[in-house]
Amino acid sequence: MNFTPPAIDYFALSPMIVIFAAAIVSVLVEAFAPRTIRRFLQLLIVFGALLTSAVLIVLNAGTRTVTGGGAVVIDGPALVMMGTIVVLSILGAALMAERSIDPVGDSFAARASSLPGSEDERQLTQRGYLQTEIWPLTLFAVLGMLLFVTANNLLLMFVALEIISLPLYLMTGMARRRRLLSQEASLKYFLLGVFASAFYLYGAALVYGYSGSIFFPEIAQSLTSKPSESIVVFIGMGMLIIGPLFKIGAVPFHQWVPDVYQGAPTAVVGFMAATVKVAAFGALLRILYVAFGGVRWDWDPLIWIVAVASMILGSIVALLQTDIKRLLGYSWIAQAGFILVGLAAASPAGLESTMFYVIAYGFATVGTFAVISMVRDANGEATNLAAWAGIGRKSPLVASALSLFLLGLAGIPLTSGFVSKFAVFVAAIEAGATWLVIIGVIASLIAAFFYVRIVVIMFFAEPTEQTASVVVPSAFTTISLSAGVAVTLILGIFPQPVLDMLSNAGLFLR
Amino acid sequence: MTGGEVGTGETIVFWVCGTLAVIGALGMVISRKAVHSALFIALTMINLAILYVANSAPFLGMVQIIVYTGAVMMLFLFVLMVVGVDASDSLIETIKGQRVAALLMGIGFSILLIAGLGNGLMETSSIGLETANSANGGNVEGLAMLIFTDYLIAFQVTAALLITAAMGAMILTHRERWYPRKTQRELSEERFAAGTHPGQLPPPGVYARHNAVDTPALLPDGSTSDLSVPEPLRARDDVREIDTDDIEGIRKLSSGSSTTDEGDR
Amino acid sequence: MNPANYILLSALLFSIGAIGVLVRRNAIIVFMSVELMLNSANLAFVAFARMNGNLDGQVVAFFVMVVAAAEVVVGLAIIVTIFRTRRSASIDEPNLLKY
Repeated sequence: MNFTPPAIDYFALSPMIVIFAAAIVSVLVEAFAPRTIRRFLQLLIVFGALLTSAVLIVLNAGTRTVTGGGAVVIDGPALVMMGTIVVLSILGAALMAERSIDPVGDSFAARASSLPGSEDERQLTQRGYLQTEIWPLTLFAVLGMLLFVTANNLLLMFVALEIISLPLYLMTGMARRRRLLSQEASLKYFLLGVFASAFYLYGAALVYGYSGSIFFPEIAQSLTSKPSESIVVFIGMGMLIIGPLFKIGAVPFHQWVPDVYQGAPTAVVGFMAATVKVAAFGALLRILYVAFGGVRWDWDPLIWIVAVASMILGSIVALLQTDIKRLLGYSWIAQAGFILVGLAAASPAGLESTMFYVIAYGFATVGTFAVISMVRDANGEATNLAAWAGIGRKSPLVASALSLFLLGLAGIPLTSGFVSKFAVFVAAIEAGATWLVIIGVIASLIAAFFYVRIVVIMFFAEPTEQTASVVVPSAFTTISLSAGVAVTLILGIFPQPVLDMLSNAGLFLR
Repeated sequence: MTGGEVGTGETIVFWVCGTLAVIGALGMVISRKAVHSALFIALTMINLAILYVANSAPFLGMVQIIVYTGAVMMLFLFVLMVVGVDASDSLIETIKGQRVAALLMGIGFSILLIAGLGNGLMETSSIGLETANSANGGNVEGLAMLIFTDYLIAFQVTAALLITAAMGAMILTHRERWYPRKTQRELSEERFAAGTHPGQLPPPGVYARHNAVDTPALLPDGSTSDLSVPEPLRARDDVREIDTDDIEGIRKLSSGSSTTDEGDR
Repeated sequence: MNPANYILLSALLFSIGAIGVLVRRNAIIVFMSVELMLNSANLAFVAFARMNGNLDGQVVAFFVMVVAAAEVVVGLAIIVTIFRTRRSASIDEPNLLKY
């Protein structure tokens, strides 16, 4: 037996190694540092690691390599996705670090293990205990996302999917207020999540059975070289993409979205709504474009159906919602449909427009949830739409920021959402799916209605005694909010530099 | 056994273990009680382990028994005991007919899946693992070779998964003490201040003729002590009657008179 | 016998697991059904490894066991937490979240 260790390009992998190392240090801090300085140390580690990782990604801008025994691929699209994930994670982590909005601390329960409503919980809250374990969990989730978009085989992708999911299941159940709701959301997310990953796994088994390998390039090769196409591999592919589609929240794998949006701490929703969507689209693009790029006509109809169902169901059900977090949950489902329209194009333009869309969507989402966490009444966050009546007259600045994000999500010109929808639809038309674009336009008209409805409620309704007030946040939330506003405007007015960057990033390395 | 072709012996193993595995799976889904479900799925897992060995995966067969049946299922059983073994399904449906619809959907899906695969796998050939296993000197060596070359990164990042799992379990269940630990003196004072029975309760039948749990203790004045019989027995009215002749005998004993009538009984 | 029979057996077990998830309402039984699905995927991997003549499938099955163990720990911790909050393990009961 002669063993030669695989060549590993440590510099190419450094963005992930930094996050992994920081996560482990962060666990050690939890174990050994005194409670009083834990929060300070954790923030130092988390933001330090994320910023370092972002710098390393920029330094890697020219890297195009397959490393780690062929398991990890660092190419243009991967680097773009990684950069987006890390930057959005910084903004999301800033939301989680916010401590001055809630009078008693951050948005997490003082101790997730204390029983809701017990004396234990009251005492811990009063003493200002903070659950600082959220920080290592956040870093692990980010590590999972970075691996998810760079994985070059089905096994690493599965492990990465789980590394993303486990911390998110846990953090979903840790809200400080309305804890039973939060814990139920966590259980529902967990059960449906493992259900979806079981489908992914069985699909992977069938694909392996057909092609004899779980590496994407070999799968692609076997699809072209084998004389007869087998039904086994197509059943496998259909089950395989359920994993990422579940994370994206596309219909019919969407049931968890509104519940998790409503139950989870708002800061966590802001973090995961933005980043997980980027990661999941990154993985889905790689599966479909690299492994199954040669059999486009076999998966396209599948994506069409999912896209149409997501756009229509998401937009229509969102119209009926009275809770703003649930409403945004359904809007996420509709947005997933719009992005899938671009993905279905299966062309370089499809790749670019999809990436542009998730970037624009991510920043608008972080900003939206920054605003939602600031609007409060006596019971905590005021998520009922009735409490939003006339907010625009009390706090015009914050309400304008939210309006910008919502109009961006609706796709009104001069915002990032317009450019991204336009790009996605153009890619689809070029690929010959005009009918899909027509459905997309109709769905975005319906969607525009409920986004604009919130804006109208904020600015044109009379304030009532139910109207919530806007709390002045600390620098953390302010930074996230401003970054969201800046990117939404810049991508709307001068999208060209980013579009150029995306086209320079090139295609997936095969 | 390690070849690509399936011999007669293996065919028998397949049909026996496969049938048992399916029975276990069906039993798990059908059982009303969660504990029965857990035992049924353990049956399935053991049979799958045998099938792994039959498929020239002896290492995985062992890991299956140790990790799945040994660790994972025991964890399930442990949690079932914590949560309460009698926790069974609620029959209330949130949406009417949801269960039937789900069942039909599930059956439809399985028919499609099995028919599709059965059709697609009609003329598959099997290569067998003889070459792959002998390349590095054995099954375990071959697996190790792959884990430390092609799948090295995946192997390393499972560490993240395991740390997350350990930390998650701790976050959700470890209760931190925010109050100082009580001293022995404080505990004792608390016990007496409560005004209830401060010490050990009288064990059943201290002064009685029997020491069975349902026999109440006799107090020196001949009356019985309720405290000595466990609560559930008292609630069920399952307390043994006191034989007054017995009490009379004890009184005679304690007064020092003859005990001859004792032998007559 | 055709070795493909192993795959059909795994598909049958996978389907039974999926039906269990869809039909049962007890969180722990739902979770056990998912474990059954993961096990059936492992059987498919092991059988395909033999049919394909390489060990990759067995390696994947090995990793799946690790992942499943971690998953079980987190899942059961969540279930115990909710149980303590609510003293019941049925996913439908005082349903705060709408369907």
